[in-house]
Amino acid sequence: MVNAIFDTLRALKTTLVTVFRKPQTVEFPKVVRPRAERYRTSFALPDDENGELACIACLACERICPSQVIKMKSGGKRESPVTGKKRAYVDEFVLDLSACIQCELCIQVCNSDAITMVREPETPAFAREDLVLDLEKLRANARNKTASWGRGTKLQEAQEPPKAEKKAAAAKPPEAKPPEAKPPEAKPLEAKPLEAKPHQAKPPQAKPLEAKQAEAKSPEKEPASAPAKETVP
Amino acid sequence: MNALLHGAVYGAVIVTVLLTITALGLWFERKFAGRMQSRLGPTMVGPIGLLQPVADVLKLLQKEDIVPRDADRPLFDLAPLLSAMLALAVAAVVPFSPKAIASDLDVGVLWVLAIGGLTVIPTFMAGWASNNKFALLGGMRAIAQSVSYGVPLVLAALVPVILTGSLSVSGIALWQTHHHWIVVWPVVPGLPAFVLFFLAMLAESNRIPFDIPEAESELVAGVTTEYTGMKFTLFYMAEYVHTLVGSAVAAALFFGGWDGPFHPGLVWMVAKTLLLFVSVYWVRWSLLRLRSDQLLALCWKWLTPIGIALVLFAAAWVEFVPGEL
Amino acid sequence: MMIQPELELEDEHDADLMLLHFGPQHPSTHGVFRMDLLLDGEIIVKATPYLGYLHRAVEKLCERLAYVQITPIVDKNDYVAPMTNEQALVMGFEKLLAVEVPRRARWMRMIFAELQRLASHLLWLGTFTLDLGGALGGGSTLFLHCFRERELILDLFEEVTGARFHYNTHTIGGNRHDLPAGFAAKVKAALDTIETRIPEYEALSVDNSIFVARTKGVGVLTGDLALELGITGPVLRASGVDHDLRRDAPYHAYDEIEVRVPVEHEGDCLARAKVRFAEMRESIRIVRDAIDGVPEGPINGFKPVRQPTQVKATSGQVYVAIETPRGELGTFVIAGSDPATSPHRLKIRPPSLHALSALPYILPGVTVSDAVAILGSLDPIMGEVDR
Repeated sequence: MVNAIFDTLRALKTTLVTVFRKPQTVEFPKVVRPRAERYRTSFALPDDENGELACIACLACERICPSQVIKMKSGGKRESPVTGKKRAYVDEFVLDLSACIQCELCIQVCNSDAITMVREPETPAFAREDLVLDLEKLRANARNKTASWGRGTKLQEAQEPPKAEKKAAAAKPPEAKPPEAKPPEAKPLEAKPLEAKPHQAKPPQAKPLEAKQAEAKSPEKEPASAPAKETVP
Repeated sequence: MNALLHGAVYGAVIVTVLLTITALGLWFERKFAGRMQSRLGPTMVGPIGLLQPVADVLKLLQKEDIVPRDADRPLFDLAPLLSAMLALAVAAVVPFSPKAIASDLDVGVLWVLAIGGLTVIPTFMAGWASNNKFALLGGMRAIAQSVSYGVPLVLAALVPVILTGSLSVSGIALWQTHHHWIVVWPVVPGLPAFVLFFLAMLAESNRIPFDIPEAESELVAGVTTEYTGMKFTLFYMAEYVHTLVGSAVAAALFFGGWDGPFHPGLVWMVAKTLLLFVSVYWVRWSLLRLRSDQLLALCWKWLTPIGIALVLFAAAWVEFVPGEL
Repeated sequence: MMIQPELELEDEHDADLMLLHFGPQHPSTHGVFRMDLLLDGEIIVKATPYLGYLHRAVEKLCERLAYVQITPIVDKNDYVAPMTNEQALVMGFEKLLAVEVPRRARWMRMIFAELQRLASHLLWLGTFTLDLGGALGGGSTLFLHCFRERELILDLFEEVTGARFHYNTHTIGGNRHDLPAGFAAKVKAALDTIETRIPEYEALSVDNSIFVARTKGVGVLTGDLALELGITGPVLRASGVDHDLRRDAPYHAYDEIEVRVPVEHEGDCLARAKVRFAEMRESIRIVRDAIDGVPEGPINGFKPVRQPTQVKATSGQVYVAIETPRGELGTFVIAGSDPATSPHRLKIRPPSLHALSALPYILPGVTVSDAVAILGSLDPIMGEVDR
């Protein structure tokens, strides 16, 4: 019983001590706390280094999206008014933000770095249609909001397994079977060049809306793309 | 006629003051609770959130009044009214200053205990009339709890009565201004009697750690599950007023009421009441809730024997200790 | 062998017994979960849990998604510990495809798993005291304190992955996001803060007599029953069975560090609480030891996601299990050829489902208040129970 009295008093003391500490919450939206550099919440379609929309409607993001929120219509190949060369254009691009699960796969697969995520969320809306982002909204986001750190080429480069690994893995037959089942016949490690070249058409410089510190930091933050110094045991 | 007018005027003033303090208490509680939880509390409505209680009341006023089918209408409608009325009725005998008392009953303590004991009736009315099993469970627990904790409440209130020889609340307060506060001397029956009274008051007003009848995480909202709108507001307000008046009675019985070192009077009474009121909330937002059988075990195995011992001690003191207390 | 709880009930429809729907809408059923309680006064005579209110057909959905698209979907199963969900899934696929994960990725996964364990236990502590104390009262104080510290961990995850809650940071073969510069220092700072606050939590919970009175001797689950029902995780360890997949069947990089496993023997709610506190401290220690030793190297051993058809598997079936904050989370994958880019069947073995299956056995004989405490101490997450 005496124990109970002391425990109770200690609990009361703990809460009283908290009263005099600074509170952890702030009055949003008057006060906005800084988010991490990699924070990703909404989307933008930036321009390339020539000032035109970078998206070439290759449909990679539409195909990879697990929730199928992206729908686009290709505008075919036309001559570019800026460079004079023929390139592909996109006519319509619709991204249903209310169904998006924020998985970043569409960013990852884009070889043209044409879609990015941004660090400021969309304002809450009353109508579902307001959260369906069309081409103008996405281009406006590219102008007005700060882009998140991830880009398709950067992510793919960071995730490339080292070259020595790939050749060694492709050379050896697939062993290390799961003990309780038949060995998988699939050979997914062949080095066929079926996917697009990861470093083609890379416009990392021409991102007009980039957060300046993001640009300054990204060259130095690629420790994983350095070739492996050790073979993986 | 004079007494009736006096009672009516003071009664109206006291009720108004109580309701205002309740509104302020709502604001203060939310800020205080927020700080205890490392957050800000209300800030948007009015400067530093002072108009939040107004917003709350307006919101509750415009809610639809839903009555469950097969609910016992007369009981269902009467319960919140009765609850609010009984809570306010206790305030009739609280002496806010030597003059400001609505009704200076000679048996004020008896009035407090009797009306306080009646408050279980509207709780059970609500539990039964709601036609809801959660409410019924809450109501049954409330009866067990209120009836049980009535005993330590009475025993604890008896200690100042024995020590001062008066059943009138203002009489006890007056005695304390001439002698000393009961909670200070004699310490042994005084301080434990105050603690007992505080705990019993918490249990009678269904506050954490004794709030099993409205245990929100188990019984959704306990007896008040089916109440909406203004009826719910009345229950909520009744609980607040009950706590406030209980604190005022404790301040009068144990802390000397309006007694103070300099310029005694209303200010001191209000200050002591508010201090106790804040302590109730401090306890509420820090402690977990006891299960009902543990609650009853605490009452019958610990508080009641201690209460009996304190009463006997106080009687022995008055009888055998020579000289003025 | 089918185990049935023993009921000494002559007539279930005895008029003296009250049927209470601890319904899907309730402040403390940890998600949409329904229990029908047959009450004799306040004592529970029979408890029947009903599941499926949060069924979202995740496993069926995964049969039509490509292997590379499934990772963000399973994040949402055990929505309190998404890192470990993703890890169980990609480990299943890695085993199916015989992909080797580089060492750096395995260390990173281990650190994420331990941080996630810490965050999940903090959330559990908050919600458990919320059940015991009420949303308008003492329980919510500790709840908000725990969330304050949990925010630090979520901020760390935001630094790495960009998302606070559903990360999609794992991919078949490794991780997608590498650790940013200065991460180790931030982790240590966060862990220091959390470590100073844990005694405060204990003052408001396991060291508090009201908490002990509510949880001691309540809901005793014997080790034998737990093993028969397939219960794993802190609930099993609190019943005296010393079993932890991190130590007994190491994955990630657990074979390179020391994992100490806390075990209690009483099997009541207090024992489960103590086990989880000990696991919190242990996770802090593991992350502190590991964060400085993350080896350099690639973070992925397989090609990065470029299109949905890039991963094909026509046959094979694997089962992989890891130790999540709730117990053993398993992924069972059967590869099929129609289409070869999606699994033929993906089954998730959720630990909370087995924990909930103990309810008909341990609830009879306790009061309604205890039922709430027991349900909280089993730490079920309906997202993974129903999938």
